[in-house]
Amino acid sequence: MAHEEWIERAEIYGLSALDGDELIQFEAHLGSGCPVCEGQVGETRESLASLAQSLAPLTPPSQVKGRLLHQISPEVAPSIREDAKPRSFSWGISAGAFAAAGLLITMTWSLYATRQELQRLQKDVASIQAGSILHETGIEFLSDPHARSVHLKGLAPSPGAVGHFLWNPESRKGILITQGLPKNAPDKVYELWAIAGDEPVPVGTFSVEDKPHTLLKIPSLPQGKSFDKFAVTLEPAGGVPKPTGPMHLLGSV
Amino acid sequence: MTADPTIAVHLIQRVANQDREAFSRLYDRFSTLVFTLAMRMLKTRSEAEALLQEVFIQVWRQAKGYSAELGSPEAWITNIARTRAIDKIRSVDRIEESFMLTDALSRAELSDNIESSAAKSETKLTMNAALVNLPGTQRRVLELAYFDGLTQTEIAKRLAEPLATVKTKMHSGIQRLREIVSSRAA
Repeated sequence: MAHEEWIERAEIYGLSALDGDELIQFEAHLGSGCPVCEGQVGETRESLASLAQSLAPLTPPSQVKGRLLHQISPEVAPSIREDAKPRSFSWGISAGAFAAAGLLITMTWSLYATRQELQRLQKDVASIQAGSILHETGIEFLSDPHARSVHLKGLAPSPGAVGHFLWNPESRKGILITQGLPKNAPDKVYELWAIAGDEPVPVGTFSVEDKPHTLLKIPSLPQGKSFDKFAVTLEPAGGVPKPTGPMHLLGSV
Repeated sequence: MTADPTIAVHLIQRVANQDREAFSRLYDRFSTLVFTLAMRMLKTRSEAEALLQEVFIQVWRQAKGYSAELGSPEAWITNIARTRAIDKIRSVDRIEESFMLTDALSRAELSDNIESSAAKSETKLTMNAALVNLPGTQRRVLELAYFDGLTQTEIAKRLAEPLATVKTKMHSGIQRLREIVSSRAA
């Protein structure tokens, strides 16, 4: 192919409008490290940015910035500050009473700190156990040559969430692993849907608690249908036969 | 938004070092651009808001990967926003439309659409700058690709034109746009 043709594709690629085999071929060409095409894509995007600037500007809601700044702020873990430790006093009370009081305060703080540490360790152990189960189950599916995988992307209600649905089309068994879904209210539950064309079929429900990951095992996907999409919605506790709530995750086969 | 790109480059470099004050200033500088583009592409305020947040989280995380050699901060951030918006348009919106909706959802969607109509009128292109100088056919093709996230094949289908014609119009449109941008910069 003449390189001029690659350059034309670079422009369309920069516009994100390249598709089909041309897209696959061009990405392979880019991957081979063609500096001319890479430059062309960059130049195209540079020119196209002027289109965005040609729109009448809209001011974003002010609360978005607050949310972002909160999101990037370092987690402030509750800790015992050095200056909070009991200090020696110079009041006219006996040294023995002060020593006893000091000891009591120190022991109280020490107990408090130990309890905090214990809680943190319990969380870590729970997280490691959950991770271990995920790991083992995930490996079981990934090592199965017949297993297939679908990546589920977070939608507007949970943009930071992700999911992976692994299943074996022959055994119809599957697992859903999610991360980043918000904790559901007690009267709500997340529901996984397998979608064949336009028809969503309920597959299972699960709750999100304090763990970063959740795992849903599917003993048997419904028979007789060829599913091309999988989605997760938030539904009333117990689940529903047809989706009614907001969609949090979605992925195509 | 476009004044002195070196300041924006410097801000991104500081953001790469997890400087929250620089991040705040970078947000002030580009959030309107990103939100406006998101409104035009996604049509609903709630989705545009979510996209704005996602884009700046990505900026926070990937600022280290930015290099001025790869393009201006505007182009970099705009490309992040477009890529995410197109991803949503292509893989989400169309599929969501095919989902069976209950009355409750339909009502929610209806209210969203009312908002969407407002958004459309708000984001109607101002016929200034680059686009107005493009011939109508080239402009239409670029708008469909850039703002509506359609691929070349989808545009050909939408306009009932041969794919080769669409490609030619895209090429000519981009070339013309490049000339306009260059002449403005000169």
